[in-house]
Amino acid sequence: MGEALTQALMQTVASPRVWLVVFCASVYGTFVGAVPGLTATMAVALFIPIAYWLDPVAALAAVVTMESCAIFAGDIPSTLLRIPGTPASAAYADAAYQFTKRGQPHRALGVCLVFSVAGGLFGALVLIGLGHQLARVATLFSVTEYFWLYVLGLSCAVLVSRGSTLKATFALFLGLVLSTVGLSAAHAQARLTFGRPELFQGITFVPAMIGLFGFSEILRNMLTLDRERDAKSTPPKTRGALVGPALRLLGRRKLAFVRSGSIGALIGMLPGAGADIAAWVSFGASKRTGKPSADGDDHALSGIGDASTANSAALAGTWIPALVFGIPGDSITAIVIGVLLMKNVRPGPEIFEKQTALVYSIYLLFILANLVLIPVGLLAIKAGGAMVRVPRRILLPLILMFCIVGAYAVNGSYFDVAVMLATGILGFLLERREIPLGPVVLGIILGGPLEERFVQALSGSEGVLSALFGRPLAAALGVLCLALWAGLAAMKVRRNADSAP
Amino acid sequence: MNTNRIPHIVLAAALLLPVILAGCARSAPYPSQPLVLLCPWTAGGGTDRVARHVAVLLERELGVPVNVVNATGGAGVTGHTRGALARPNGYTLTLVTAELNMLHWRGLTNIAHSAYDPLMLINRDDAALFVRDDAPWASLNALQEAIGRAPRSLKASGTAYGGIWHVAFAGWLNAVGLSPGDVTWISINGAAPALQELMAGGLDAVCCSVPEAQALLEAGEIRCLGLMSEERLPAFPGIPTFRELGVDWAMGTWRGLMLPPGVPEPRRAVLLDAVRAVVESRDYQDFVAQAGFSPTALGPEAFAAFLAENDAQMGAILTSEAFKGVDTPPVGPMAFPYLAGALLTLNALALAFSGQLRRPADLEPMTRPGAARIALVIGVTLAYLLLAEGLGFVPAMGLAVCVLLWRFRVRWLVAAPVAALAVLAVYQVFAGYLGVPLPRGFWGG
Repeated sequence: MGEALTQALMQTVASPRVWLVVFCASVYGTFVGAVPGLTATMAVALFIPIAYWLDPVAALAAVVTMESCAIFAGDIPSTLLRIPGTPASAAYADAAYQFTKRGQPHRALGVCLVFSVAGGLFGALVLIGLGHQLARVATLFSVTEYFWLYVLGLSCAVLVSRGSTLKATFALFLGLVLSTVGLSAAHAQARLTFGRPELFQGITFVPAMIGLFGFSEILRNMLTLDRERDAKSTPPKTRGALVGPALRLLGRRKLAFVRSGSIGALIGMLPGAGADIAAWVSFGASKRTGKPSADGDDHALSGIGDASTANSAALAGTWIPALVFGIPGDSITAIVIGVLLMKNVRPGPEIFEKQTALVYSIYLLFILANLVLIPVGLLAIKAGGAMVRVPRRILLPLILMFCIVGAYAVNGSYFDVAVMLATGILGFLLERREIPLGPVVLGIILGGPLEERFVQALSGSEGVLSALFGRPLAAALGVLCLALWAGLAAMKVRRNADSAP
Repeated sequence: MNTNRIPHIVLAAALLLPVILAGCARSAPYPSQPLVLLCPWTAGGGTDRVARHVAVLLERELGVPVNVVNATGGAGVTGHTRGALARPNGYTLTLVTAELNMLHWRGLTNIAHSAYDPLMLINRDDAALFVRDDAPWASLNALQEAIGRAPRSLKASGTAYGGIWHVAFAGWLNAVGLSPGDVTWISINGAAPALQELMAGGLDAVCCSVPEAQALLEAGEIRCLGLMSEERLPAFPGIPTFRELGVDWAMGTWRGLMLPPGVPEPRRAVLLDAVRAVVESRDYQDFVAQAGFSPTALGPEAFAAFLAENDAQMGAILTSEAFKGVDTPPVGPMAFPYLAGALLTLNALALAFSGQLRRPADLEPMTRPGAARIALVIGVTLAYLLLAEGLGFVPAMGLAVCVLLWRFRVRWLVAAPVAALAVLAVYQVFAGYLGVPLPRGFWGG
């Protein structure tokens, strides 16, 4: 362990290359997070083609830093303009904007920054504490257990999604169908390829992610482009003490902080749920438990702080299932798994044994990224006014260029650009019907392994379905899955019965 | 207003002109621009390691960058197809693997070795058979007898169904008078996960190359029963060959550099000399020895003869009755897609009936200018797809960005420098530093 830790330290903190990457990623992440309409997922998706040329630790350093910074930076426009910079800031945009209206944006922004950093560090501790423990359990799993684990992960994505369950399941099945394009892993036979050899490998991951999260965002922004001038009202300057009062608030709310941090990390661990849902849940919990008799400002700031803690803590949480089981906790870790596979690192319990240094590096990177966030965040708040006003009409054509180059770069193929275009239009159309993209991505990522485990488990038993319950552990997981769905169906039926006269 | 704009257009043209001229007028002797080395397998795998090492050495020989492009997928179909259909201008090489002679027999592609101009065979890796160290079979013969006594009771893997190690394994059973179906082949993608499943007790034997199993072998966790080769490996002298054990069977994967047919003879000669110098270099020999690959060098004629012989051998195995008999997986390839498709259809119907497909009320309305801008973005992307190869990246992308900025009413004075700077910077970063083969267009040659 000591040796791996030393190696991890050498690879991260002692590497000037990693510092350079972290610096660039923090600027980039902050910028993308602060511009309304550009999300943290998009920041990471557009970065993959570059990650392709970095070594694994540097690539992961960039992803961790840019997501930590982007999630905080999303608070800047939501405080100054009431337009959330990323979906994760949506929960408390109203509350934070109230302070700007009274000319005190620094009070809300200070709380956002301090609680983001603290929440991020809390999440990192949860990741460090749980990662190795869970990995030890995971080594007991054979293909059958993995099959059920994947089913469980996909079910969670449906359960935690906001809005209609039917739309979430639709998104999930769409992802699963898309994952079957190409050669089946188990039979090496072509399916749904329409004779295009490019499709034999399936829908290529990088262009699909860039399409779903980059190109579709451009299309969405096209609808509101001419309203830019109205929103251009100059945001107020941020002056006043940022950190001090926020730190005092944190000191007064230790218990609440642990609660919001745990909510964030736990929700992050659920596949398909990330920072945005964590913020909503934590904000809700904070509202319910807070004493309305207390000072009104204090109450509002507590809510903002709790939600900021949760959305930052969720980031590290999403990495836990991703690293241990290869099941992404949210869309960003789905991309991370793609990056790791590209680097020939296969997430799973083995990396905790064979590539311990890499795992320790990830732990260190989370701590590093959150510490870097302190100066970067302070600067971002100072520059906030200018950043949120970068005109989208100039930015979006350039983002389109990055989408095209990024889709082309990895394989040098025009077909991949077409894939990016098609998935981008698909993502836009799905969002127009409020069908969540998270389950689609999860389906694309997990569909292949799910099918492979299914076929492998059954070919060992000559196709007898009961083999899926053949081992005690597998049977337990299987029953849990079935119970989950039965419970969901029962709830639906009861709700329908209640609503009927 | 309009007259006011003209100078800006002139300014834009003036700014773009040096860009267009930048790459012009290059008719230096071959090779004058970067080469692409196609690798049909993913980054980090064995073939990729060979490709990247060869690329570095070739770069030294040729004096121009050699970029490895991983054209992966489809069990090798994608890369092998692209390599054969590439423009025969001497700027695209492919690191072809044994699958070239297998894919077409399985009907996955019509690209066979005749679609290539073989340059040099650079490496071979032979199959070997591994069992757990605590397995009851002390020797190859013992395993063979156990299979004969109780057919279909043992499970083996090492690669996906129909992969090279599966063929090697099935060919061994065939050669000793057993049926390839007597051992259940579990389709697991790759030797590493198969070895892991072997350790977990899910498999009885694994067939793969020795370098792939090296770590477990040296840790004493697994035993090697034999090597399907003509002679022993210098790095592992303790492993007997099948021939020594009385089984006339050898099979393995190989890797070779090939060109699309029709490369002009002078260019081909330059490449052949460079490749020969690379393969004979001390550097390459050290690399293969250290990585545990077996070095082999066969020139064009010998390589072509080897290909024909290997292809016939593969055809005999892959089309044999015995091998076809194995093709009865309990769950067919379309089972899962049909299941997912059926669930999707049912779900879509449920959505439609519950009225949830109507436009949500709080959604941004689709205005006419909004729709026009969406169509513009899609149109510009399509236009780039059509024009990029002919025009080259810089003019085509510059045009695309300029059109968008113009339609979004950005002033020319801002738009022109933004477009020129951004496009040039991206070109420099991606084509210059990262080695992405962005299209060079009409001046690319």
